[in-house]
Amino acid sequence: MVKPKLARIVFALCVGALALLAGCLSEINLPQEDGVATPELDPALRHPESPGVTRDQVVFGQSVRFNEIGTGLQIGIEAAFNEINSRGGVNGRKLSLITLDDDYDPAKALRNIDQFIEQDQIFAILGSSGTPTVRAVLPVTVEEGIPVIAPYTGAEFLREGTPDNVINLRASYKQETQAVVDYLIHRRGITRIAVLYQDDAFGRSGYAGARQALRTHDMKPIAVGLYTPDTNAIKSALLDIAPAHPEAVLLIGTFEPVVAMIKWANRTGLHTQFYTVSVAGNRHLLTQLGNGGAGVYATQVMPLVTTETEQIVLTFENALRAYDENAEANFYSLEGYIAGRLAAVGIAACRQELNRECFLRSLQNAQLLNIDGFRLQFGENDNQGSDAVYLTVIGADGAYHPVETLVESAS
Amino acid sequence: MKIPLFETIRGLLPRRLRQLAPVDGSGQDTESDEWHVPPASRIWGRILGRIRIATQLYISIGGAVMLTLLASLVAWFSFNSINDAQDQVNEGSVPELASAFGIAQYGQTLVAAAPSLTVADNRQEFLRVVGEIDSAYDEFESQMAALEAQPGVDPDRISVIRDYANTLLSNIDSIAAQTDGTFELIDLRSAHQIKLANLGIELDSVLVPAIDDQFFFIMTGFPDIDQNQAQRLEHFSEEQVERYRRLVEIQSDVKIGGEQLASAFTATAPRLVNSLRDEFEAATSRIDRNMDFLVGTQIHEQAQPILNEFFALGLSEDGIYDVVLQSLQITGAQRQLLESNRALSIELLAEVDGLVIASQQGTVTATAASAQAIRTGRILLVVITALSVVGALLVIWLFIGRVLLRRLNTLSSRMQSMAEGDLESSVDIGGQDEVAVMASALEVFRRHALEVQRLNLVEQLANELQDKNEELEGVLGELRQAQGQIVLKEKLAALGELTAGVAHEIRNPLNFMNNFSEASQELVDELKEILEDPKFELSDDQRSYVDEVVGDLHDNLGRIKSHGDRANRIVHDMLQIGRDTGEWEQVDINILVDQQYRLAYHSQRATDANFNLTTEEDYDPNIGTVEVIPQELGRVFLNMVANACYATDLRRKNLAAEGQEKEYTPIVWLKTRREEDKIRVTIRDNGVGMSEEVKEKIFNPFFTTKPPEKGTGLGLAISNDIVRRHGGSISVESVPNEFTEMYIDIPLQSAKDFTAEEMAEAQGDAPQQAETVAAADD
Repeated sequence: MVKPKLARIVFALCVGALALLAGCLSEINLPQEDGVATPELDPALRHPESPGVTRDQVVFGQSVRFNEIGTGLQIGIEAAFNEINSRGGVNGRKLSLITLDDDYDPAKALRNIDQFIEQDQIFAILGSSGTPTVRAVLPVTVEEGIPVIAPYTGAEFLREGTPDNVINLRASYKQETQAVVDYLIHRRGITRIAVLYQDDAFGRSGYAGARQALRTHDMKPIAVGLYTPDTNAIKSALLDIAPAHPEAVLLIGTFEPVVAMIKWANRTGLHTQFYTVSVAGNRHLLTQLGNGGAGVYATQVMPLVTTETEQIVLTFENALRAYDENAEANFYSLEGYIAGRLAAVGIAACRQELNRECFLRSLQNAQLLNIDGFRLQFGENDNQGSDAVYLTVIGADGAYHPVETLVESAS
Repeated sequence: MKIPLFETIRGLLPRRLRQLAPVDGSGQDTESDEWHVPPASRIWGRILGRIRIATQLYISIGGAVMLTLLASLVAWFSFNSINDAQDQVNEGSVPELASAFGIAQYGQTLVAAAPSLTVADNRQEFLRVVGEIDSAYDEFESQMAALEAQPGVDPDRISVIRDYANTLLSNIDSIAAQTDGTFELIDLRSAHQIKLANLGIELDSVLVPAIDDQFFFIMTGFPDIDQNQAQRLEHFSEEQVERYRRLVEIQSDVKIGGEQLASAFTATAPRLVNSLRDEFEAATSRIDRNMDFLVGTQIHEQAQPILNEFFALGLSEDGIYDVVLQSLQITGAQRQLLESNRALSIELLAEVDGLVIASQQGTVTATAASAQAIRTGRILLVVITALSVVGALLVIWLFIGRVLLRRLNTLSSRMQSMAEGDLESSVDIGGQDEVAVMASALEVFRRHALEVQRLNLVEQLANELQDKNEELEGVLGELRQAQGQIVLKEKLAALGELTAGVAHEIRNPLNFMNNFSEASQELVDELKEILEDPKFELSDDQRSYVDEVVGDLHDNLGRIKSHGDRANRIVHDMLQIGRDTGEWEQVDINILVDQQYRLAYHSQRATDANFNLTTEEDYDPNIGTVEVIPQELGRVFLNMVANACYATDLRRKNLAAEGQEKEYTPIVWLKTRREEDKIRVTIRDNGVGMSEEVKEKIFNPFFTTKPPEKGTGLGLAISNDIVRRHGGSISVESVPNEFTEMYIDIPLQSAKDFTAEEMAEAQGDAPQQAETVAAADD
């Protein structure tokens, strides 16, 4: 009996010893390489939700040529912001504007937009001027989702089938020429209408508006002339137009060729009425034409700053005076002022959750805005607030006088 | 068959022990190869048997320890070899592999560097790439140096790789040098583009108004707005038209030349550039020709400097065409270099791949060697462990099991059998160790024990004899006692027979006596009537005398009669003893007791009007039936109840004599109980009770405490006789003037089939039982 029991114990001990040995052997392993750490995204690289917006500030960017137009726009916006900020800002946020000079150069405009994005971190582009410069930066703003508010141009590419990020303030060139043609036919009974236009996008869109208005009456321009941009070489065009003896000539160009055209027409004895558009209808036109300017008509998209019956003009005057005693009130500063007020409306609608999307949406969905009597309307496929076209005429006193409101700002 | 293990174990023994090991002079056998298994263990046992247990234990434990040490040594060496293999992996293959991977990595960086140099679009980017290339090459070199330091690396491959790398680097250097030059060209190109655009605008701004003015002048004669209109012949002249034509042609050729220049920027081959240059040259010569016509005019003064710049832009050294051609040449050279680099890269990477594969193989080989060492070590360890286990088991089996334990077992079993009394077989265990010493000591003990055992046996026999003697004496006493009883029984039997005979003989005379004494009494009465008749004149004396005589006669006759009756009754009772009457029947004892009690009570009541008795009955309802002879057993109960009645009545009478009758209520308790193997009937009364002396005699025949006319002294004797015939017994308890309690036990198993001997035996117990009986009254 003793032997088997002893044998069993010995066997058990041996098995235990073997198990221990096996355990020791299995612990000898080749060192294994550590797994590759998974890369982690740097949170700082993430796109910030609302650039240009802080707890107490909203920053806008403006790229203009520092001439009469650009400076006027800038002063108008600053006046509006000054007025708003003096009342405590919008939802506790002060509005501010950074203005850069682009010298009407698309390349500089692109550099400016880069600076706005990288350095200044602006919330939106406000009141930039120049059709080619705005055209150059538009793709960048679309890519970055930057709102473009109230650009100082009536070009069609910002209006029909445009990206969602553009909000226009003023009526288009096309609307201006359409309105003046309708006015001539309906109010003045004039049908012999000739057109001079600048051979570029601006001129062509004005020409298109005129043609379209004439076509609705089964008419067409009795004569058409065009000239090379950046030149005053309008005399060939005059030779095209003059023989048709038009009752009215529509001049779609900048003020210098327009002045040349009127002067040469007067010189060569072409007796007709000249109608020009807001682009040319400025102070330079008055000074350049001098005495010969009397009776020249110009359409405008902003009310005359001398029309004291308009509420918007009165508040604008006050704001401008409050901002700068010596600042000049003109079409540009008024347009800038309204643009500034429009931006404030969009920001106010978003309250604390201010971001670009909300800002754009609130303006796009604004059915009817009334900025001190200047009414704006937006809607589906309508990113343009004002349709207003005013007709002015240069009086014997060498100043613009209101003739008629061809199109109300919003109906 | 050789047993190597034994040899091994023997080999482990010290020399002295090895010399001891051979037994019975068979040392040659153990040394020889002719050592077979069956005798081996026995011989081995015998060898070890000669050695002391301590030594044996030391040897076996030492053997086990040696085996364990051996296993540990093997483990140590195998672990060392594993370590060596591992070191080879760690120190040799792993760095080699790392270097190879480094070379592959930096080689690829070098290969990728050249194209990224050519696509660098500004100097800053270019310098960054150059810096990357430099650092990659430094790393590449250091890894190469590290790899070269490794043993077993193919030096040819290293030098081939280095050659490729150097060629690659010199290519990269020339690409870098060329690319550096292209930045100037790129700057020039963009400057030219801007200048071209500006010149176009400038020329337009001069030429377009000039053409406009010229055309307007021809048509209207207005030279300027503040000048007077010219005469028609003056403005509508051939000269003016010719001038207009020249202006228009110049404008047109400026446009053509501008387009030829602009196209140069998009040209992809020098051939195309040259044809564009030809076209441009043609345009410039046309412009020159037309401009010559305008010499001396304002337009010539305005336009000629701009046109000169325009021409120079196209044709001068570092002009557009020159710059474009240079760019194309550099691009072509770079393309060639890149092409060669690509081929070199493929070669280089193939070599580096070979290097990586080689070092991977090295690593795999080293790892395999390490794994092999681990495996070998593991197997060795297992084998050695198994060997040491088997060796230990063998030691245990051979020495402890076979030699020590078996002999101890034998010793133990011998001791046990001795303890159990087997002292006959002798203790014989071989060897000279402690076990053998113990065995011989045990043998001595055994012999002593055997002696003692024999002595003890004699004494035991003597004691047994004495015990038997005493037993025999006891039996003798019993026999004598039994003899006396037998004699008594025989006497009684003889008396019975005698009595029966005498009784029968006496009965007839008694009948005569009784009958005639009765008849004589009647006769005496008749005589007295007659004598009282007055016809017989008798004197008063006579008459009184006659009366006296007659009276005496009557009394005497009466006495004769009563004594005769008594004699008759005795005879009747005597005849009852020993008479076997009645049948065995299954009887409910409760009913039997109740019947007999009523019979006794009523007969008592009939003879004595003052007799009064309270009865408390306690019959067991589960009494069942038992096989008895109801006539006989009934007589026993009747007897008992009658005695109880008598005892209570006597006590009442005694108390009445003392005037305390009223405080006494005579009670008889009747109780039946079925017990495990018997039925017990208890009859208790609160009568006079009896003393110890009386109790001892109550079952004796003819003993009675009653007056002669009331009892024969045979009642209880007969009752006892009957109960014993039923296999039962009667016992009694009593306290004088308190109570008497009789217990009649009837066995449940019927005594019907008892043989005569058994009956005799049962009756033989009677005297003893009678002795234990406490008391009775009768």
